[in-house]
Amino acid sequence: MVSYRVWILGIVLILSIISIAPWAAFESGVMIKSVEKNSTEFESGLRSGMIITEIDSNKISNLEEYSRYVSNLTFTDNEPQKISIKANSNYFVFLKDSPLSITVENIPKTRLKTGLDLSGGARALIKPENISLDDSQIGDLVAITTERFNVYGLKDISIRPVKDLGGENYLLIEIAGATPSDMEDLISNQGKFEGKVGNITAFSGGKNDIPHVERSGAQAGIDGCYANQGGGEYCTFRFGITLSEEAAQRHADITSNLSISTENPEYLSEKLNLYLDDNLIDSLFISKDLKGRVTTQISIQGSGSGSDRAAALKDAEANMKKLQTILITGSLPYKLKIVKLDTISPVLGKEFVNNLLKLGLIVFGVISLVLFIRYRKIKLTLAVILTMFSEVLITLGIAALIKWNLDAPSIAGIIAGMGTGVNDQIVIIDESESKKSSTLKQKIKNAFFIIIGAFFTIFAAMLPLFWAGAGLLRGFALTTLICVTVGILITRPAFAEILRKIKE
Amino acid sequence: MEEQKTNTPTPEANKKNWFDKNYKLLMLLPILLTLSAVIYLGFFYYSHNHEILLKDVSLSGGTMITLTVGSDTINFEEFKITLEQKSALRGADVSLRKLTDIGTGKLMSIIVESSSNSEELKGDIESILGYALTNDNSSIEFSEPSLGKNFFNQLMWALFIAFILMSIVIFVMFRTFIPSIAVIFSAFSDIVVPLAIVDFFGVKLSAAGIAAFLMLIGYSVDTDILLTTRALDPKQTREGNLNQRIFGAFKTGILMTSTAIFAVLPAFLIVTGLPDSFRQIFLILALGLFADLIFTWMANAGIIKWYCDKKGIR
Repeated sequence: MVSYRVWILGIVLILSIISIAPWAAFESGVMIKSVEKNSTEFESGLRSGMIITEIDSNKISNLEEYSRYVSNLTFTDNEPQKISIKANSNYFVFLKDSPLSITVENIPKTRLKTGLDLSGGARALIKPENISLDDSQIGDLVAITTERFNVYGLKDISIRPVKDLGGENYLLIEIAGATPSDMEDLISNQGKFEGKVGNITAFSGGKNDIPHVERSGAQAGIDGCYANQGGGEYCTFRFGITLSEEAAQRHADITSNLSISTENPEYLSEKLNLYLDDNLIDSLFISKDLKGRVTTQISIQGSGSGSDRAAALKDAEANMKKLQTILITGSLPYKLKIVKLDTISPVLGKEFVNNLLKLGLIVFGVISLVLFIRYRKIKLTLAVILTMFSEVLITLGIAALIKWNLDAPSIAGIIAGMGTGVNDQIVIIDESESKKSSTLKQKIKNAFFIIIGAFFTIFAAMLPLFWAGAGLLRGFALTTLICVTVGILITRPAFAEILRKIKE
Repeated sequence: MEEQKTNTPTPEANKKNWFDKNYKLLMLLPILLTLSAVIYLGFFYYSHNHEILLKDVSLSGGTMITLTVGSDTINFEEFKITLEQKSALRGADVSLRKLTDIGTGKLMSIIVESSSNSEELKGDIESILGYALTNDNSSIEFSEPSLGKNFFNQLMWALFIAFILMSIVIFVMFRTFIPSIAVIFSAFSDIVVPLAIVDFFGVKLSAAGIAAFLMLIGYSVDTDILLTTRALDPKQTREGNLNQRIFGAFKTGILMTSTAIFAVLPAFLIVTGLPDSFRQIFLILALGLFADLIFTWMANAGIIKWYCDKKGIR
C-alpha cells in the first residue's frame, strides 16, 4: 500500500511538470511576441502568445525560417497583397501593403521565465523628484508611463509600482532583451507641453485640451529634407491635432486681441509658441484669417537634423513621435528621477544561466556523494536525492505557474532551500536510526518538531525581505519560502513515508 | 549491541568524559571569537565614518560596469592604472576586480565600480579600450546615492526584524530562558563573525550580500534547534544520557552543516562566471556555516550541558 503522502507528492510532481511544460522544446514554429494595436494583423485576430507554424502555406519551424520568409516579402504601396498565417491551428488571412506589424521569437523551451540579470535587458527604478506619491497617484503614473512606452512602440515591457519598507512608492520598469538607448530620456522627461501665444497658455498636452493627434496617414509625416548651410541636413515634419472646443475658444479669445504683423502682413503679430518642458521647440506663425476664429484643427510642425539625410530623417521621426506622445498622454504634474538604472547584457546573462545549471548539477553530485559516504546505503541516498530533486521541480513549477521571473537571487534562494531540505532529511534519518525503544512514528514525530522549528525560523528570517529595498530581493525570499514550504507540506511527509518503507 | 551503557569504556565514552571535563573550556573560544568580532566591528565603525560595513555601489550609489573580455586581450594592470588616473582627475574613486577562469587562468571579465555616474565612467572606459561599450560586451548598473542609502537602511531594519522574529520563534519553541538565549547568542555570533571577516578582507557588500545575512539567521539556527531539542528532550522520548544525546545531535549536525558547506563551495572552486550577487550570497553563507560549526558545538553545546547539569536533566 502506497501512503496517501506519497500519492500527493506524485500528483504535485506531475502538476509541476505540466506547469513548466518542458515538451515545448519539441514544438516547432515561432511565438508572437507583440502585435501592433489597430493593425490589420490585430484586427484579423492574431495575438501575442500564439504559435505561428505556417505563412502562405510555407512551413515555419523556427525564427530563422520566419525571418528568411518575411524578408523576402515585397510590398508596394496601395497594392495590398493577401497574407495567410496559420497560428494555433487556425488560419488568419488579411491584406497588407506594408511589412508585417508583428514581432516574433522562438518558442520558449519551458514556461519558466528568467529575470533581467539572466536574460538581459534594462531595469529602471523611478521616483518623482521632491514629492512622495500615494497609491492612486502611482497608479496614474503607471498608466501614463505605459501609454507613453506603447506610443513609442516598445513592447515586452513590464511597468509596475513597488513599495518599500518605508512606505515609499516607486515605479519599476523592466524591458527584456535589447534595450533602447533613449530609455533614460524617455523616462526622465516630464513632458510638460504648452502652446502659448505671448505669455498666455492657449492649450496644454493631454486629452482635455487635445482629444486627437494624427499619427499617420496624410495628416502626419515628414515634409521634406534640406541641406543645412553649415553642412549636414535637416528634415521637417508636420502632423495635425484636434483641439477641444474650450481650448479652441481660448485660442480664439487670445488671437482676437492680436493685431496684424507689420513685417509679415499675412500673419498676426504674435506667434504660437510650443514649449516642451519649458523649452521652446517650435514657433508657428498664425495666419491673419484665424484672428478671433474658433478653430479646432491645428497643424504642428517641427524638424530634426543630422550629419546626413538618413540621420536627419531618423531624428525628425523621433522628434515627431516624442511630440505626439506628449500631446497624447499629457504631462505629469511632477518631474521624474531615475534612482536606479541597470542594463544587463544578454550575452552575459546567457553565460550565467549555463554556469548556474552546471553549478546545480555539481551541487547535486557533491551532496549525493557526501550522503552516500555517511550512510553507505544506496536506497537511502537515492531517497534523499529524489526528494531534493522533487523540491526543486515543484518550486520551479510554482514559479512558472505564478509567472515569477527567476533572477540570480531567486536561484540562490532555491539552492538555499535545497540545503535546508537536505538538512531536514538528515534529521529525519538520524532520528529514525537512533537507538531507542520508542516507535518509528514517535521518532519521526520528534524529527518533525525540529523541522517545523527550523521552518518557522527561516520563515521569520525571510519575511522582511519581501518589502526591504523596493522588493528587488523579493525573489530570494520567495523561492526560499516556496522551497521550504513545499518541503514541510509535501516532500518531508512523503520522505518519512518512503523511509518507513525502506526500513521495513 | 543495542544497549551501550555509559560505564562501558568505549571510545565514545572516553569522548564523553573528555567533554565533561572540558566543555567549559571549549566555550571560551567562541566567546572570545564573538567578543573580538564585536570589538573589531566597533573599531571598524569608528574608523570608517560610522559605517558598519563596506558598501558596493548598489548601497552607496554610483556605477558598476561589468566588462566581458571575450576574445580580446586586455592588460588588467595597465587598464586599472589608466582608469584610476582618469577617475582621479574628476575626483571620483574607482575600484576594479577581475574574474578569471579557474581552469585556464584566462581573464573573463572586469568589474569596475565607481562613484561617478554611468555616462562618465562609460566614457572613461571606452576611451581606454578604444571601442564602444554595448549591450553585447558590458552590463551597467547605476544607483542614486540617496536610493542606496535608503536600501541599506531598510535592509538593516529587515535584518533586525528578522532577528527579533527568529528570537520569538525560538522562545515559543523552547519556553525556557537559558536554552533560548543560547540559540540566539549562537545566531548572533553566526552573523557578527562573518561580518567582521568580510570587513577585515575589505569585501564590499551588495544588497544581495546583506540578504545572505538574513538567510544565515534562518540557516544557522537549525543545528541549534536540533541540539537543544535533543539535549532537553522534554518528552523523555529519547534514549541515552545527556552526553550521548548531545553527541548524537553533534553527529547529525556536523553532517547537516558539512553538506551545506559542500553545496556552497563549488560556486568558488569549480564553477566560474556566476553573477556577482550570487557569489556574494554564497560567500557569506559559507562563512556563516563555518562559524556555525564553532558556535553550535562549542558554545551552545556547552551552555546546554551546563544548564542541564544545573537543572538535573540527565
